Amino acid sequence: MIIFDLMMMFATAYIVGFLYYGLYRNITARFQRRIGPTVWQSLYDSIKFFNKKDTISHGWMFYLGPVIMSSGAIMTLFFIPFFYQSDSFSGLSKYGNLFLVLYLMLLGPLGNAMGVGASGSPFGIMGITRGLTRMFAMELPFYISVVALMSINHSADIATIAANQETLNAFAYPLLFIGAMFSFVAMMGQSPFDVVGAPVEVYSGPAAEFGGKFLAILMSQNSIFSFAKLVLMVNLFLGGADGFLELLGKTFILFLFVIAFGSIYGRFKTHQSVDFLVKVPTAISIVGLILINWR
Amino acid sequence: MQEGFLSEQRVLEGDLNSDTSHRNSVDFLIDWFRKRSIFVLAYGTGCGAIEMPPTFTSRYDAERLGIRGAATPRQADVIIVSGYCSYKTLRRIIRTYEQMSNPKYVLALGSCTVNGGMYWDSYNTIKKLEDYMPVDMYVNGCMPRPESILEGFIALQKEIGDGKATSWKKYQDNYEFYRKNQEAVLGNKVEPAYDADWYLYDGGL
Amino acid sequence: MYSEIKNRFATSDIEEKRDSLAKVVVERHRLFDLIAMLGREYDYVTLSAITCADWIEDGHLALSYMLTRADRKHVMMVQCMIARDEPHIESLSASFKQAQIMERELHEMYGIDFVGNDNLVELSLENWIHTPPLRREFDTLEFVENHLTFREGRDDNMDVKKEMKRLRALKKAQKEAAKKAKELKEAESKEVKSQLKEESTDVK
Repeated sequence: MIIFDLMMMFATAYIVGFLYYGLYRNITARFQRRIGPTVWQSLYDSIKFFNKKDTISHGWMFYLGPVIMSSGAIMTLFFIPFFYQSDSFSGLSKYGNLFLVLYLMLLGPLGNAMGVGASGSPFGIMGITRGLTRMFAMELPFYISVVALMSINHSADIATIAANQETLNAFAYPLLFIGAMFSFVAMMGQSPFDVVGAPVEVYSGPAAEFGGKFLAILMSQNSIFSFAKLVLMVNLFLGGADGFLELLGKTFILFLFVIAFGSIYGRFKTHQSVDFLVKVPTAISIVGLILINWR
Repeated sequence: MQEGFLSEQRVLEGDLNSDTSHRNSVDFLIDWFRKRSIFVLAYGTGCGAIEMPPTFTSRYDAERLGIRGAATPRQADVIIVSGYCSYKTLRRIIRTYEQMSNPKYVLALGSCTVNGGMYWDSYNTIKKLEDYMPVDMYVNGCMPRPESILEGFIALQKEIGDGKATSWKKYQDNYEFYRKNQEAVLGNKVEPAYDADWYLYDGGL
Repeated sequence: MYSEIKNRFATSDIEEKRDSLAKVVVERHRLFDLIAMLGREYDYVTLSAITCADWIEDGHLALSYMLTRADRKHVMMVQCMIARDEPHIESLSASFKQAQIMERELHEMYGIDFVGNDNLVELSLENWIHTPPLRREFDTLEFVENHLTFREGRDDNMDVKKEMKRLRALKKAQKEAAKKAKELKEAESKEVKSQLKEESTDVK
């Protein structure tokens, strides 16, 4: 029965993730005063890439890069419960807690780094270097906020944290939420922290050498991983969800906010983004962590 | 010959009469997806490259047709040869074209790629692009406006949807022919040497 | 300044082209002395270009060094002739670093050998084995006709607008002819039908 549950989670994340990315492109287009592609455009792209006739590989390590990355994304998804009350769509969340999810979120980029390294593409390696540099700074405020939430709830279980919110954590602990949101924007790869895949500077960075089916896998994992991160954020700060409508509504509001944020700002340089993330959001999160005791 | 386009679009190459009856419904569907999603390599040669930014940005917005830019040849479906090709550029174009993964399409802009254009008596530019690499669609004009480029794209999409844009197959099947023509103008070294010499060499660039 | 150049470099060929440009022609063995002197004493410190003209009738190449004054108000064009048959001259890259790439281009386009420039490799022509293309004995049109193929119909030189008009008229005529033929056919078939009807009524 759990297999069926996992498959349903995977399918939901796949379809909703791609729809969100289609909406992302459409909404960004509207921000730029153009019509933009249809909502299904990302799905078309991925299906087209899956049906490329040939795909260039650079050995087995290169082959493993996207595989490790997508397995990291899918495992992250499986350990995050969609709804805090019901047993369905809870996946493997009974067997793992927030620590495991945070670890799994790191697995994908590291695996991809090895794959990109095997390709020998200078732009790919440059992108990976930027990504790992930014990741160090990006995780700090998020981890501080998450640790604070765990200490408030005396639990590392995501469903418990999601259920245990009389007023939403976002409003009860606004400083923690703001700190985490900054790193969340960075995690979603949005401006001003999109230094990794900057198309003009490093030619789409880590994905530079991946084409055809590899790129299709990368695109799929990206949409799945984005949805998983959205659900995690909803669970931690926005009180979780009790049904599909609530889940979609909350994740979409969060996603819309991230898009709007990304559309407005230009891109930081790598060291600027590290500087900013280490200073401002981390400071906000630490102040939030200290203020817990006075509530 | 296809007619009815505003810019007197004409198909100079591409097998319009190629056999497409063997396609089953799955092929039909895949071709439809290919048609709806076209990644164009961000690469410009000659003066036509200046018409591409307005085509892809807010003014003409090619993305509403599913056409968007790709940063590297590995991810691209279409390479636009936008204007005259000197031998030096042709070498890079061929290299880039061979790095793209099948199925791939070529869109040639401007009269220079059709018959040399205003560079017809130049010792350093090629006159007929299709001698050196297969071309799916020519867009004539000097330079074609973004409207014409979009029309060329729509015509290309129609060909892809009908399964007729098979220039990549043609390149594979007639590789000796193309290679012979390439060597005739480029010498034995068709591919440029890609190392750091030009960068590190004293006065290299 | 001009009189000093005349005296020291034994040249009478000084011409003031306009307010901002003057031309001096010197012997090739005095060329570098003159350039050094102009830089040292009259502030012509920038080498902005080296150009070349091919005088095939006189049998020499005219090399011109364009020197710009420090205040950017005046340009001195120092010219010297070298033989077409053995085109070589000392390099200027020791005193002007930018001369390196200019000489590289001249080497490629005119086949001039600059002694002392160690990087005379190809610049924009790759694997060029024919005559240097800017020499006047190189016939561009002949080269193009020998080495490259044109698309057919390039040389018919038709007026595009007239041609399009003609094609459109042709198409229209064809359409009308087809229409007429169709009408005729329909009329015939009607006649046949009416005949058939008449026959059938006759039978009845």
